[in-house]
Amino acid sequence: MSDSRNEEQGCPQFSKLTHGLAVGLTVVVFPLIWVGGLVTTYDAGMAVPDWPTTYGWNMFAYPASTWLFGPFDLMVEHSHRLLASLSGMIAIGLVVAAWKLDRRPWFRWWAVGLLLLVIAQGVLGGVRVLLDERLVAKIHGCVGPAFFALAAATGVLTSRWWFAPAAGMEGAGRRVGKAVAIVVSGLCALSYLQLVLGAQLRHITGWMSHRSFRGLVHAHLAMAGLLLMGVLVAAIMVWWKPTIPRVRRWVMGLCLLVVLQIVLGCATWVVNYALPWSELNKTLAGYTIQAKGFVESLVVTAHMATGSLIVAFAAVASVRAWRFRWVVKQGRVQ
Amino acid sequence: MNAPPRNDRRNALPQDGGVKLFRVMWVGWCVAAVIGCAPSPGAFPPNRIFAKRLELTDDIDLGKGLAESQVLLAELFGTPDQPRWPAMVSELTPGRSGDAAASRRGDTSSPEPLVRLENLRRAAGAVRSDEQGVHWGLYRANCVQCHGVAGDGLGPAAALLNPYPRDFRMGKFKWKRTPLGRRPTRDDLRRVLLRGVPGTAMPSFANLDADDIEALVDYTIYLSIRGEFERRLLSLAAQEVDWQGGEHLYDPAWLPSEGMAAQAWPAQWRDLMEELANIVAQWQAAEELPIDVPHPDFPLVERTPSDDAGQLSETGGIEQQIIASIAHGGELFRGTVASCSFCHGDDATGTGQQNNYDEWTRDWTVLAGLNPGDTEALRPMLELGALKPRPILPRNLTWGIFRGGDTPEDLYLRIAHGVEGTPMPAAPLQPGNPQGLRQEEVWDLIRFLLSLSDRPADPRPGSPGGGT
Ligand code: HEC
Ligand code: HEC
Repeated sequence: MSDSRNEEQGCPQFSKLTHGLAVGLTVVVFPLIWVGGLVTTYDAGMAVPDWPTTYGWNMFAYPASTWLFGPFDLMVEHSHRLLASLSGMIAIGLVVAAWKLDRRPWFRWWAVGLLLLVIAQGVLGGVRVLLDERLVAKIHGCVGPAFFALAAATGVLTSRWWFAPAAGMEGAGRRVGKAVAIVVSGLCALSYLQLVLGAQLRHITGWMSHRSFRGLVHAHLAMAGLLLMGVLVAAIMVWWKPTIPRVRRWVMGLCLLVVLQIVLGCATWVVNYALPWSELNKTLAGYTIQAKGFVESLVVTAHMATGSLIVAFAAVASVRAWRFRWVVKQGRVQ
Repeated sequence: MNAPPRNDRRNALPQDGGVKLFRVMWVGWCVAAVIGCAPSPGAFPPNRIFAKRLELTDDIDLGKGLAESQVLLAELFGTPDQPRWPAMVSELTPGRSGDAAASRRGDTSSPEPLVRLENLRRAAGAVRSDEQGVHWGLYRANCVQCHGVAGDGLGPAAALLNPYPRDFRMGKFKWKRTPLGRRPTRDDLRRVLLRGVPGTAMPSFANLDADDIEALVDYTIYLSIRGEFERRLLSLAAQEVDWQGGEHLYDPAWLPSEGMAAQAWPAQWRDLMEELANIVAQWQAAEELPIDVPHPDFPLVERTPSDDAGQLSETGGIEQQIIASIAHGGELFRGTVASCSFCHGDDATGTGQQNNYDEWTRDWTVLAGLNPGDTEALRPMLELGALKPRPILPRNLTWGIFRGGDTPEDLYLRIAHGVEGTPMPAAPLQPGNPQGLRQEEVWDLIRFLLSLSDRPADPRPGSPGGGT
């Protein structure tokens, strides 16, 4: 077909604005996830008892002197709400851009779906406050990262690359094996499940039995091992086979993130529960956990945010892998 | 471009990325809903393990006793969401209610209560905070994951910690300044919360507001007294109540009406309240125990070379004294009077006796006639949620890390009082024990301990070991 050349040069379907909004959304949601994590770390979820108002104020009119310089919990919770509304507004912009500028009908609805999801997430956050229900808090905590991954994937769906994934690849013999695509999307699914397990560990209540908790910890550890193996397999696959750089790069990034995440996970355990073998070494034997300490909160929140980043990386890598394969199968490149 | 070809539509569907993600998300949600969605009943979990122990040793069925005890406990202490404080017991603890502490402050009008109901309300219930930054639900925000709703040390994380979190319900605490067998003071609990316990999962809560700490101290005492009273009630149910003869442990009909004077209480109610008052009185008595640590005759450690040279000549003789003291401390450590090395090993690395269990474990194993090492025999207890027994190991003392605090005063009291609930004994001391150690010999032991690690004793001014 000749239009592959066409797309490469003119790329008439690409819209800078749509792509910019999608990337912008991803960029805003990441700090939003950090702040959301801090809300849980500091138990600040109930620092504002009402929603969508803040202590009766319209959220945007709530005086900065009260929240910015007020109690820490209030500052964290209120900035979470403000950032969340910002991402909602970007999502609205994305829908408008999709309907005006994007000619792919499915993409228009994708953008609408994304907006609905961010609204649902906002409502979940509100319900969490109004009902003070841990289950809602957990779901809210799990939808956030999913939304982040979808936003990151939207970045790919709107990119110049999406419209001409094989451009410049002819003759280079680059391809994406089916196995790679499967492994990478499997990693995406597993890392999300892992994140859900992590959320269970984070939102425990006193009424959970120690047996269930131990079961969860073991599942989380087993899954970490599985993910590490999966990501190593994927890395070996893309390294030894001639894979397109766009996939390879994300898989290698994923690999680094998983290793980092395992280190952060161990650290998260230590700063929450200490190691059960404190006599192992002198530093551990002398370490006292600082409840709500700075380093402690940073480690825990970083572990949570890196989890979201892993899901997003895996989502981006799988979207790219399948897109490339699809285009190749369509016979656009040999 | 003209109308998009049919082909393009199919092509464009993000079949593999998007739909999969959505599916995964839904699976995730279902998993989230199924696991960890434990109900949060409004009541404190009863002490089934202790009831089981009584059933095993006294060969009776405590079903009724357990049920009635919970009714009475809820009447007196409320629920995890709505705590109560049985203020009426103060009528039975004559001349107490901490008024000795109050009179020391020159305030005789309003005796300091052991526990304040406002504080319990702050610490109990669900987690929230307000525009002024006041926190509620402190116990659930900070403690419950380890210490459990009832302070039973059976929180969700408990099984994975070593040592296990404290069970407050026996009224025993390790890191306190009162002698063995006595309750800790409020100040002891406050210090543990502020300092944390190094090398264990018990965090330092120094980042919390001072009044949050006070509320948590009150709540710890509340859970401890409630738990001790529960144990007392179960023992009464097993040993005193004639169930065959139609007697009850507690009958709501005994409850006196509001404001009724103690003299007019029904006799059974009065008996129960006296049991409770005895427990409360032990906590109040702890506040009045004198804690005096003698000063050592000369400094605990040599001055460091960084001290100004002018003082070196002055400490020259002391250096010899310290070296001799350390040597003597080492002999005492390995000697038969203190017999520290029996547990801590000759080199103090903790290699001595390894097969002991702490009191919190012995309580439902040895005292129930079960061997803590025999998992099969323990099964009924483990099924009720008891944690697998682990031997308590003597500490490695060569690292200079002390869980109960590392001031010279702390170390002195640790040796003089031992560690409650553990095999670590109180050293025999003169004059109480004529064969025991002299006070100065305790300091010899401490100098020896400090010499094992290169960590200098805390030379805070005013602390006994601080240099002159
Ligand atoms: C991460 C788990 C964890 C958390 C959270 C925790 N504790 Fe502990 N706590 C422990 C462990 C473990 C011990 C036992 C330490 C030991 O045996 O030396 C302990 C011991 C204690 C003791 C007994 C100290 C003694 O002298 O025996 C008290 C009192 C206590 N905790 C109160 C609290 C309170 C109040 C909170 C909440 C503000 C809290 N703990 C939070 C794990 C925890
Ligand atoms: C019967 C065994 C036994 C004997 C005898 C014994 N200890 Fe211990 N000791 C222990 C155990 C067990 C612990 C750990 C307690 C804990 O952490 O709960 C301990 C802990 C300690 C600690 C640490 C306290 C802290 O704050 O962390 C010191 C110091 C100590 N022992 C000193 C001594 C000295 C000095 C002697 C001799 C006078 C001695 N012990 C005799 C068993 C013993």
